[in-house]
Order: sequence, then structure tokens, then C-alpha cells
Amino acid sequence: MSFVKKRFAASGNASGGASGSASASSTAVQGFGRRRNMGAPTEKPKDGGKTLRRLLAYFASHRAAVILLFFVVTATVLLRIAAPAYLSRAIDAITMRTFDKLPQILLIMIVLYVTSSACNLLEEYLGAKLSQKIVKGMRADLFRKTIDLPVDYLDTHSHGDLISRMTNDAENISNVVSSSLTSLFSGLLTLVGTVAIMLSYSWQLTLLSCSVIIFSVLFTRFLSRYIRKLYVKRQRLLGALNGIVNEKVTNYKTVTAYNQQDSVVDDFNGTSNELTRTGILSEILSSSMGPVMNMLNNVSFVVVAVFGGWQVIQGNITVGVISAFVIYSKQFSRPVNELAQLYGQIQTAMAGAERIFEIMDAPAENKSGEVHMDSTKGVIEFEHVNFSYVPGKQIIHDFNLKVEAGKKIALVGSTGSGKTTIINLLMRFYDIDSGRITLDGVDIRDIALSDLRDLVGIVLQDTVLFTDTIRGNMCYAKPDATQEDLERAAAFSNVDQIAAALPEGYETLLTDAGDNISQGQRQLIAIGRAFLSHPYILILDEATSNIDTRTEKHIQEAMYRLMEGRTSLIIAHRLSTIQDADTIVVMDQGHIVESGTHEELLAKKGTYFDLYQTQFAGQET
Amino acid sequence: MLKYMRKYWIFAVLAAAFMIAEVTVDMIQPRLMADIVDNGILGLNGDGTPDLALIRSVGIKMILIVLAGGLFGMLSGTMANLCSQNFGNTIRKKCFDRIMHLSFEQTDAFTTGSLITRVTNDVSQVERLVQQLVRGFIRCLMFMVVGTITLMSLNVHFLVIIACAFPLVLLDIGFILWKTNPLFTLLQGRIDGLNSVIQENINGTRVVKAFIQEDREAARFDTANTSLVDTQLRVLILMSFLRPIMNIVLNLATVALIWVGAIQVQAGGMQPGEVMAAVTYISQILNGMMMLAMIFQTLARGRASAKRIRQVLDADPVIKDGTLDEESLRALYADSESDGTADSESDGAADSAAGKPADSAVTSVAASYQPNGSVVFKNVSFTYPASGANPGAPIEVLSGVDLEVRPGETLAVIGPTGCGKTSLVNLIPRFYDATEGTVEVDGVDVRDFKLQTLRSKVAFVTQKNELFSTTIVDNIAIGRPGATEDEIRKAAQTAQAEDFILQQPDGYDTAVAEGGMSLSGGQRQRISIARALLKNAEILIFDDSTSALDLKTEAALYQALKKNYPGMTKIVIAQRIATARKADRIAVVDSGHIDAVGTHQELMETSAVYRDICASQERKSPQKGGAA
Repeated sequence: MSFVKKRFAASGNASGGASGSASASSTAVQGFGRRRNMGAPTEKPKDGGKTLRRLLAYFASHRAAVILLFFVVTATVLLRIAAPAYLSRAIDAITMRTFDKLPQILLIMIVLYVTSSACNLLEEYLGAKLSQKIVKGMRADLFRKTIDLPVDYLDTHSHGDLISRMTNDAENISNVVSSSLTSLFSGLLTLVGTVAIMLSYSWQLTLLSCSVIIFSVLFTRFLSRYIRKLYVKRQRLLGALNGIVNEKVTNYKTVTAYNQQDSVVDDFNGTSNELTRTGILSEILSSSMGPVMNMLNNVSFVVVAVFGGWQVIQGNITVGVISAFVIYSKQFSRPVNELAQLYGQIQTAMAGAERIFEIMDAPAENKSGEVHMDSTKGVIEFEHVNFSYVPGKQIIHDFNLKVEAGKKIALVGSTGSGKTTIINLLMRFYDIDSGRITLDGVDIRDIALSDLRDLVGIVLQDTVLFTDTIRGNMCYAKPDATQEDLERAAAFSNVDQIAAALPEGYETLLTDAGDNISQGQRQLIAIGRAFLSHPYILILDEATSNIDTRTEKHIQEAMYRLMEGRTSLIIAHRLSTIQDADTIVVMDQGHIVESGTHEELLAKKGTYFDLYQTQFAGQET
Repeated sequence: MLKYMRKYWIFAVLAAAFMIAEVTVDMIQPRLMADIVDNGILGLNGDGTPDLALIRSVGIKMILIVLAGGLFGMLSGTMANLCSQNFGNTIRKKCFDRIMHLSFEQTDAFTTGSLITRVTNDVSQVERLVQQLVRGFIRCLMFMVVGTITLMSLNVHFLVIIACAFPLVLLDIGFILWKTNPLFTLLQGRIDGLNSVIQENINGTRVVKAFIQEDREAARFDTANTSLVDTQLRVLILMSFLRPIMNIVLNLATVALIWVGAIQVQAGGMQPGEVMAAVTYISQILNGMMMLAMIFQTLARGRASAKRIRQVLDADPVIKDGTLDEESLRALYADSESDGTADSESDGAADSAAGKPADSAVTSVAASYQPNGSVVFKNVSFTYPASGANPGAPIEVLSGVDLEVRPGETLAVIGPTGCGKTSLVNLIPRFYDATEGTVEVDGVDVRDFKLQTLRSKVAFVTQKNELFSTTIVDNIAIGRPGATEDEIRKAAQTAQAEDFILQQPDGYDTAVAEGGMSLSGGQRQRISIARALLKNAEILIFDDSTSALDLKTEAALYQALKKNYPGMTKIVIAQRIATARKADRIAVVDSGHIDAVGTHQELMETSAVYRDICASQERKSPQKGGAA
């Protein structure tokens, strides 16, 4: 069988030993062995410069703070350089036994130290503020982008990984920015200042000393490629772990019902081990930066000493110059060392930024429409609509349907016949491949997306409620709804009875997985939510599948009153749900097979008649 | 939590040892450098001209030593990483393992968002803490101790300065830690909050879009984001006081030291060179102190995270594992049979309990064990545990339920929304425990089984279909890892899933999107059903699992089910009478109790609720379209 062959090709390492024997048992399937590789496994080192430029663009919007910070850092660095000068004067004073000078020098030192500390404090304060502002802005941008992503993108990417990008990756950037920004500034400043002073003494020796910079640059360039690759991989694995926790906790009931805890844990452990391996490797590489720099510095020191000594013997320079030089080249090594260590940290931030920009660069939902519409007659027309989720697997074929204003239309048909897809297209969760869908004669792609969705109230097949009170969930689309609005919608959707049975009533907090409210009750709340939004067009996609038929009937009556003169589209498998519809459209494989009223379709004795028979067969006997 | 460190302490020791070696080298290196400068370049020992040979020989020595130092540094880093990350890995795995064995009410109370933070972010914080402790602590301790000792060996008067400065530094550290400590727990909580908003928005993206609430969600995110950033900023700002204050204290100590030194020199008790050396040492101590400040910063955050991890690790599953597995049950059963005391099922338990007080509990169980898929509810009441979110008086969902499901029969459960149908079946595989009364499977109280044994007897198709982001075949194979291809296909065929599976781009190997969003509701249900069938358990439970199936498919499913898996006890929650009436018996549940049990005909006569449900589903018009 083809699928088994394929499985083996894919899970060669997972099923390991079994693949050797060709016996029947070798076709054993490894339950949770593999995970679909979602979340764009990009380990290719991207254009680092470009990522850095984009990261820096975030600083640009806080230009004032950056400039202020720069001045404060400059002051700190200058004070830091000045203090040792007075220190050596103080020592000199002791050595020369000119003790009367000492109090004045020490007083200056105290002033210097106190100002330096004050500057230091200001520097840290500004750095913290700046870093948090940047990260906040970045996170907000990322979230905004995430909710603007097309449904398709979220359907095909690991949710846990997305969460990880917004928290772990953003936090990495935050950490680096807050901890390294000031060191970076002061390091660079010290470096530049020292080089300038060195140049004033001897350019030959300066060049020689600077050769260490060239080596460092070459070395860090070489290493950074690997380090960033490893960091990106590490962040991706962290995202994958997030994904596993997210998915397995969300589907916890199934995991336990099938005794899958152990294999789920194995799966997690595999990724966790991989994360640790990658983490150790990347940390070792980046922490080797410091010692290597230290080495290079010392080598350069010896070279300078030898060359300088030779120059002195040659009579080109004086001993005084070389002694000053030695002191400065020592001072020089400190910022180089620091910068090298910072470099490793910056790579983490870059890796995080890369992953964040990856989402920012994903195409957003197409919101092209510009026609404004704040009410509609509710005439919906599908004209020669073709659509496929995956290229080559067409779901909807030349679909034509006209819904008259104010009519109740029901879509029925076997599962997978494309009913929900039609709704997806009407809501523009997906855009059609060809053909046209119009609302009151206007192509829905020309209508402002928010207007289109505002006109339509929808109850989805999968009930989604938010962590909020029942009231909050009911008023989701209309946060300014009055108590009256709420109670009216609740009465229509039977939510009033749910609330009445709960000690906290409408203020009962709902949680994502909470079992204290049944699935059917969740559907009722979702229906209430749609009712409360007073839509011009109402779509119910299997909205009452978990609701008992008596409650459903009550809701239906309410709906008819509520939607009087307004268009509604209903998808249901229970024929009792839809037999009052003005038109019943029977779908199969993305085509319309037949349509008409309940009576017309029964008289036709076609597909609908068959469906009807299965449901009511023998009811009278 | 420290017990997980046991395996890696050797790395910690090695890291510390290499660190000591590195620091030692760090301390030797300046002396060599001074040697090069003083004796080589400046020629202080000779005629004042540079001594190239000396520079070269000492230079090579220095490079070698620095090389060794670098190597030690790298080794120390490697060891510290091996220690901290392996330790982190261990607690991460333990943590997840624990999560996977918690009870629903517990995972629910933690919330998914928080569990994600704990397993990833909190573990990273603890990793950082260990790393810093292993490396930095030793380093700064060495600097400080060596610096202090040498300083004091120079002149005892310096002790006074140190004695004054130290408490001030400690006060600074202590005060800031005391201020920030509670903030770190808050900070991690804020991350949880942010996680939850993101998670909900991603999972509920269709609803957000459909109700065009993007702006509102962005505002909600903004609130969470702002509160996270504000907390973080509070921490950072508090922390930013740490270093400058320490700086002032230690720098003033330097000034004091010079002053004291000057007095000493003036009095002739000291050489100027010694004062110079003292200044160097105090800056070394200062450096050590700085590092200490950094470490305390990490420590504060790491501690908060460690606490949050411990909360998970220490959480005891509310649903306690029983002791009986298949083997021990069979052994016990064989015993009691040879005794000839196997009684009638109903009163056997009471009899043997009275007759044999010595090992009553076990014997009573064993005497009635029959692995045939029977389920009995005895006077069962159930209340969902009160959660932190809703502390109000919990409502009783089931009260005094008595119900017997016979081996091999198909029992339909029908009743209004929220009447307790799902709660009823949730008690069978012990997703929750009954508050009162007992649930028995195969004649044994479910609480006596090992959970694994119990759950292997039950195949449960949840109401909300739970598919994983792997291939279709893997999703089905979860039912029984190790199942053969034929078994998988048989299950898929019975579930009426094979037709649409083969139409997918890669057939059985087609990847399923997270949450199964790439499939229609009915397709998801059928994959879930195939998974349950593959398990081939004694008891099959459908929790409203065919609601998204069209009637034809549903009918075919039940027919195939009867044919291919005849022995299973089937409990089917349904809304449609057409589904229910195919069952052997129907149980009507109404507001937490069993209203009636019987066949369709019986119930039509005896149960008003049932008649009412039927009426609501009756064909619309009296015309006999169907029969004609």
C-alpha cells in the first residue's frame, strides 16, 4: 500500500529497528512518532545586515531617547577615564610626600565618583526605558500583524511557535537591548577614544595594535554565521516545544483517553534534548568569544612590546612613548573584549529578530475592498465560483447560487461537500480562485472587509469562546450593549437559562477548556453572541449540532423573529433543523445537486429524498 | 528540585575548578605583563634600554599562560553549560511529564498559557541562574576573598574600611532584592497573561475576524503588553540602582583607603607602593562585588521561576491511580473462582465483604471481575470542582444516577443541552471522579483500576474533536500504536473515513493542520472515530460524535460498526432520535438524573421527555412524503 511505503520513507528513524524485517508486524505504526514540521524551519543565515537595519529602525523611532542616552554614556565614559588620572595624582602625592595636596585631589575624586555614579544610574534608567519601549512596540507590531494574517496562515503554522516568537524571541531582544545597549555604546566610545590617543603617539604601533581588531572582525564574522544559525535553531526548537505543550494540553482529553501520555512525553523529550544540545553548542561557541579575544589581545601586546622595543633601540621612539602605549593598549583590550562578548548576545537578539520579521514579512490578509456598505438588502450571488485550498485539489466547482433578499437558505450535503467552504468564501476567510461573489450586486472583494464582516453575523462550526464572563462573550461584537440587549439575546438563545443555573450568573467566567459549561451550552452562547450583533445576514454553520432538538426549536423560532426580512444561511445535518427554509440547496463534491423547498425536493425523490428517508425511516412504526 | 541536579553536579564541580584555574591565570598574567614593561621595555634592571630577548621569552611565556587561561575559560564555560542546560532539560522534561499526568481540573486551573511559560521561559530562567551560580559565584568569590585577604595582609587598618563598606553593599543588595522579589513572580505571571491573549487570538482567529474585533483584541493585547512591560520596567529601574550605589560605596572606600594610606605613609608605617597595590586590590574586590550584584539579579528572577516550576512538579494528580491491573485482577479472579465463592453480581460484593473481613476489599473486587465491558453507575452524584475563576457554590451536575450498561449492548443517551450527558460518560474513564456513589467497569470500581488499565478498556470519542498536527494515519494510529496497516484501514473504513482520506492530496499521509482546521467537521469526527475503533476496547463511547455526519454516512457507520466490531459495549450520546433509536436501549437524561431507560417503543409510552424530544424532530408536514 502506498501510504505505508511513504510512511516508512518518512519515519525511517522513528521506527528504527522494525524497518529491517518485512513481516506483518513491521508495518506497525508509531503513534506520535513524528510531528509535522510547521513553523517555517529556516536555519539559513539570512542577510544579517538587513535584519540589523530593521532592528535599528525601531531605535530610530525613539531618536530623542537614543541621543540622550548617548550623551549620558559619553559623560560616564569621560568620567570613568578622568577618575584614574586623579587616582594616579593622589598616589603621586603620596609618593612625593606632598600630603597637603591630597585633600583637594581626594575631594575632586569624590565629586567625580558621585557624578559618575549618578550618570551611571541615569544611563541604566534610560537604557531600561528604551529597551522596554522598543520591545513593547515590536511585540505590538507583531501581534497586530498576527491578527491581520489570513486564516490560511494560522491554519498551517504551529500556534505554539507563534506564541514563542511573541514572548521568548521578543524577550531575548529585550534582554539584549537592556543589558548590552549601554555597554555597546561605552565600549565603542572607549575604543574610539583610545585609538585616537594612541594615534597621537605613534601610528605604526597603533596600526599594529589595531591588527587585533582586524583579526577579531574576521574571527567574529566566521563564528557569527554558525552562532546565529544555532541560535535560530534553538529558538525554533523552543517554539516547537511551545507547540507541543500548547497542542497536547489543548487536546489533553484525547491524550489521556488513549493512554498516550508516555509517547507524548517521549516526543517532548526528543525535542527537549535536541534543544539542550543546540543550546549547549551555541553557548559554548559564543562563550569562547571572550577567551579568544583575550588571547588575541595578549598576542598583540607582546608584538607591540617587541616591535616597540626594537624601535626604541633603533632610536625611532622614546621609552616614554612606549610606556604610555603599553598602558593604552591595555585600556584598549578591555572594550574589545567586552564587544566580543556582546557580539554573542547580539546574535541571540538577531536570531529572535529574524524570526519576528519572518512573520512581519508574511503577506497580510487582502483587505483591498473600498466600497462602504452599512446596510444590505441581503442579495447574495455566487457566479461561477471555483476554489481550492491546495492547488490541484479543487473543492468548489463552478458554483452558482442566488440568494434573494430576506430568504432563509439551507445548505445540506454529505460531509466534505464544500458547505463550510462556501461560508469561508462569503466571509472572505479565503478568496476565490475565479468567478465572483456579490452582495447586493457588488463584488465582495470590492466591499471594505470590515463592512462586509460587520453585515454578517456568524456562528461557526467550532465554538470559540474567550476567557471572559458569559456577559463579555455575549457582548463580544457589541461591547456597548445594554443589559436589555443582553437579556433579549440571552432569552432568544436560551443563554438566560444557563446563566440562571449558575451561581455567578452572567458573570461566570468561562475558560478555554473548562468543563463546567457543556459543549451545547457553549454553542448557545455563541448563538447569543451572533444574535446580539444584530446582523443583516446570519450564518449558522452547524451551529446547533450539539444542542438538543427541543432547545434548537426554541432558538429557531426566535431566529425567525429576529431575522424577519433578513437573509440567513444555515448549514445543518439534522433535516428537522432546515425543513422550514425557503430554499434548500443540496451539495455534493463542490457542486449543487438540487435545490428547492422541502416539499419540492421530496417530490423530486432525488438526493434530498434519500437523506430524508434515512432520518425518518420507520419513525411511525 | 535540587535532586535533579544530582546527575550533573560533577559538571558544576569541574566548571568551578576550571574557573579557579582561569582566575589564577588571570591573576598571574598582569605580573608577567608588568615584568615585560618594567624589565623588558623600560629596562629598569639594566641600563634603561629595552631588552628584546627578555621581552620575547617572557612574552612567549605570557602567551602560553594566556592560552592555558583561555582554554580553562572555555572548559569552564562548557562545563557550566553542560551542567545548567542538562539540569534545565531534566526539569523541563519532568515538568511536562507531570503536566501530562495531571487531572483536567488542574491543567485547567494552571491554564495552557501559563503551562507553556513555565515549561519554556521559567526553565530558561532557572538555567540562567544555575549557569551564573556555577561560574560567576566562584569567580567573584575568588576575587573578593583573595582581594580582601591580600588587602588585609598589607595593612590591618584597611580592615576597618572594608568592614564599613561591606555592610553598606550588602544593605544595598538586600534592599533592592527585597523590593524586586515579589515583582519577579508578578513578571512571570504577566508573561502568562500575554501568552493567553495570543493563544486565544490565534485559536479564535475566525471569530475575531468575523466580528471584526481586531482593534479590540489589539487593545486587549496592548493592556497585557503594557502591564508586562511596566512590571519589567519596574524591575529594571529598581535594579538600575544596584550598581551605581555599590559603585559609590566602593569608590568612596578607595578614597578612604588612599587617605588612610597617606596617613600611614606619613607616619612611616607603609611604603607608597603598598598603597598603590592596595588600590588595585580594592578595584578587584569592587569587580567581584559588581558580579555579585549581577548574580543576585539573576537569582531573584530564577527563584521566582523555580517556585513556579515547583508548583507544577509538586502538583499531585487529583485523580489517584488505583492498584489493579489486568494481571492482578486475573490472578485474584482465578483464586476466588477456585474457592467457589463467585456469587451473583449484585450482592456478591456485600457477601464476600462480610464473610472475609481480612482481605475484604480486594476479594470483593476480584469475585465480580468480568472483562466484558459492563458499566454500572450506582447512586452516582457529581459536581464539578470549584475553580479559582468561579469560586461560587458549585452546582450538582448529576444526582443519584443509577444506570447499568450491559456487556455488548448499544446504549443511546439522549437529553437536553446541559443535562449532564457528557459529565456522565466522563466518569467512566475517570476524567473526573464521582462526588458520591460508584462507577463500576467490568464489576470493579473504576477507582480501583490502574488508570492505564481502565483507560485501555475504554475508547472515547470526545465531543470536541481533538486532532494533532501530524498525518492522518498517525492521528488514527494513536488509537493503538503498533497497529498494522490492515487494522488501520479497517478502522477507517468502518468509520466511513477511507473515501475522503484517499481523496486527500497524500492520502493517509496527508498532514493535518493544527486543531484539524484543514478538514471539515464531519471529516474530523470520522478520523476521531477511526482512532477509537482502532483501539478495539471493550467499551466504546461516542460523545455526540456523529453530529456533523450526514445521515447517510451515519447510518453506514453504525451498520459497519455492528458488523466489524460486534462485541463492544457502545455508549452513544446523540441528539437525533434517528441515531438513538438504532440502539438496543435508550437512556433519557434530564437535569442530572436518569428519567427513563428502555427501547424506543417503551419510552414512547413511558417517558414524556422522550416523547417531547421525538415530537421536536418529527417531520414538518403531515403529508406522507416518505412513505409514498
